[in-house]
Amino acid sequence: MNFALKVGVSAIAMAVASSTAYADDAFWKEAAAPYQDVTLHGVTESTPPSNYIREVLAPQFEELTGIRVDIETTSWDQMYDKAIKDMEAGTGIYDMVFIEQDIVYSYLARDFLTDTTKLLADNPSLKAPTYSENNFTTFADYFRGENGHLYGVPMEAFIKIYLYRTDLFNDPEIKEAFKAETRHELKPATTHEEYGEIARFFTKWGEDHDLDLWGTTAQAHTGHPASWYEFFETIAPTYGVYNWGIDAKNNYAASVANGGSMNSPEAKEAMKWWLSMRDIAPPESNASTWTEVGTTFGAGRVAQGLVYGENAGWIAADESKSLVVGKVGVALPPMEDGILEEVEGGKGYIGYYDGGAFGIPATSKNQKAAMLFLQYIGQDEVQPDWAVAAPRVTNKSTYDDPKVQAMNKELGGYYDLLRDKGYLFAGAPAYPFHAQVREATAPILYQILTGDLGPDEGLDQMAAKAEAELTDLGYRK
Amino acid sequence: MQSNKLGWILLAPTLVILFFFGVLPFLYVVFVSFHQWNPFAASPEMIFNGAENFRRIVFDSAFLNSLGVTVAFVIFAVLSELVIGYLLAQAFMREFPGKSIFRTIHTLPLIMAPIIVGSVWKLMTTPSIGIIPHYLDEWFGITMNIGTSAPAAFLTIVIMDIWHWTPLVTLTLIAALVSLPRDPFEQAQIDGANKAQTFWHITLPMITPALVATVFIRLMDALRTVDEVWMLTGGGPGSSTRFLGVHIFKEVFPKTNYGYGSTISVIVLYLTIVVCWLLYVSMLAPRKNRKG
Repeated sequence: MNFALKVGVSAIAMAVASSTAYADDAFWKEAAAPYQDVTLHGVTESTPPSNYIREVLAPQFEELTGIRVDIETTSWDQMYDKAIKDMEAGTGIYDMVFIEQDIVYSYLARDFLTDTTKLLADNPSLKAPTYSENNFTTFADYFRGENGHLYGVPMEAFIKIYLYRTDLFNDPEIKEAFKAETRHELKPATTHEEYGEIARFFTKWGEDHDLDLWGTTAQAHTGHPASWYEFFETIAPTYGVYNWGIDAKNNYAASVANGGSMNSPEAKEAMKWWLSMRDIAPPESNASTWTEVGTTFGAGRVAQGLVYGENAGWIAADESKSLVVGKVGVALPPMEDGILEEVEGGKGYIGYYDGGAFGIPATSKNQKAAMLFLQYIGQDEVQPDWAVAAPRVTNKSTYDDPKVQAMNKELGGYYDLLRDKGYLFAGAPAYPFHAQVREATAPILYQILTGDLGPDEGLDQMAAKAEAELTDLGYRK
Repeated sequence: MQSNKLGWILLAPTLVILFFFGVLPFLYVVFVSFHQWNPFAASPEMIFNGAENFRRIVFDSAFLNSLGVTVAFVIFAVLSELVIGYLLAQAFMREFPGKSIFRTIHTLPLIMAPIIVGSVWKLMTTPSIGIIPHYLDEWFGITMNIGTSAPAAFLTIVIMDIWHWTPLVTLTLIAALVSLPRDPFEQAQIDGANKAQTFWHITLPMITPALVATVFIRLMDALRTVDEVWMLTGGGPGSSTRFLGVHIFKEVFPKTNYGYGSTISVIVLYLTIVVCWLLYVSMLAPRKNRKG
């Protein structure tokens, strides 16, 4: 291509790009014109993705459209408290609420949310040319109602992964010692047996070498639901116990006697394995939620662990917080033989696909202006910087962005894993009674963790309690 | 008549605010407590169920357990705060080098929000990382793990509460001690009373009103402790530190069991009033009778 041709092509490309940008800007200004006196109020959990919305995307949107956006970031509990009370009482304070994946079914059951697909279909002038539901990854499907319509625009999505220390796994002395002891090569585990073997080896290695090093993490807080989630959404599925062991199609049975699997032999085996890992994890594990598990890993105290993807970013790349930057690899969680095939065949899942969306309460008085904002944060264009600032991917095109690719390398291939293996993970089951069953059964789990109850007896009690709670709530007849 | 009218006019804004933000919500909680209401149940409507929630509470082992640990916490924490607070108040009545600095430092915990206190103590007591378990292990060979040991978790919360709230007791008792007249003490000295007799027959009766007020404040606070415990143990290990405040929080917010949660709130309020009334009768009524 000669110089003149290159200049010509570049000029055309720039002209097309600038005219598209102009056209896009013109759309936002024109669509926002009727809402100039509106201030949108949103409430969300104080997380890196939400903070990015408040600090970056909301001001950008304000500048572009003139619509003021007030995003309130608060604690997880407060966020739910405020949002639910607002929607329940119909006060209409909030125009946007954070919908964590596991609460969406409760909200849909109560008709709390606005059908965004329908809202855009009924108001074509609101539809941004750069917004399309097709741009989202399959994670968006968790926010669709029975009619297939979208009730929330995804804003964060991550999986809970198996994180391991590449420096330790590649250390020649350690590798040799591991092989001498186990007669296996040291490599990331694929089964529980392998994981346990590696965990025991590193805990002993730490003891023998007077190091603050243990073989595994354990999110085993004895008074916080984090432990409940670790068991039911991370450990139990890898033993083939899905949907918390509750069979919604069988009158919400939880006990084996009634057709559930919460106290099945597989669940009991999973519990025993998890407890055995907890026993060789760092001492802080009994007081660890997801946050402390990330901190433990980032402090270099464990050789491997099951860690939420939202923490993987800073553990692998933030030198101001993590001591293991550049020393982290990611892999699928270990599982029992046959589970991967079962999941690939369409039954169950191997771990938790977590995240959330921004939705518009049915009680909002500014639904159309809020829809404009949700489209703004759902565009492909704003995603790469957001993904770099706070590891989360909700749009398919984000994976291919050079900035995200560079980040992917730092994260040991986390984004590749999310893209290629994300289909093996799943969000919380489609239950409208999520928190209710969790809170009813969690005290019994805490007793199992403290040793006041044996795992078999404890799981039997949990299954019975879950059924009693579901009966009280009117789901189980 | 004129001053009466003016008084009501001046009081009116406060009474209106109190009515809307205090009385009305309270009446609503009482109303809800007679209903079965969980917005995420199959039937999310509020259904009147008479006194069923109140009957249920009597047999609710989780509630009774919470009540038990709360009572134990209140007894240990408030009594300790009174004793330590009084001793410190007496110490501050004397002159000693660095008194003003020590008094300032001693008061600092009071200005900290409970949620911050919980966070700080969580950092200090996290097994194997926190400074307290670290030095307990290094100096005395004691393993402290509030994630597994119920007594350790309970004791830690009691100590944390004492650390946080003793300064309040000290300050109120200093105010009471400073205001005492000198004459009775001088007369007691002339009559040959020893320190114990002086304390028992003069100091204690004279500071009783301040003491009772302090006990009421601390008692009511301790009965509804949530923030610090929530941060430190989340109610665990197991249910060993699931105090009433935490129990109500978990019932009302995560479980959204508004009906039954309101019932527990009403019962806790009733128990608080009864305990305070008993204290009032036992501590102040005899004094009034003596005067009468």
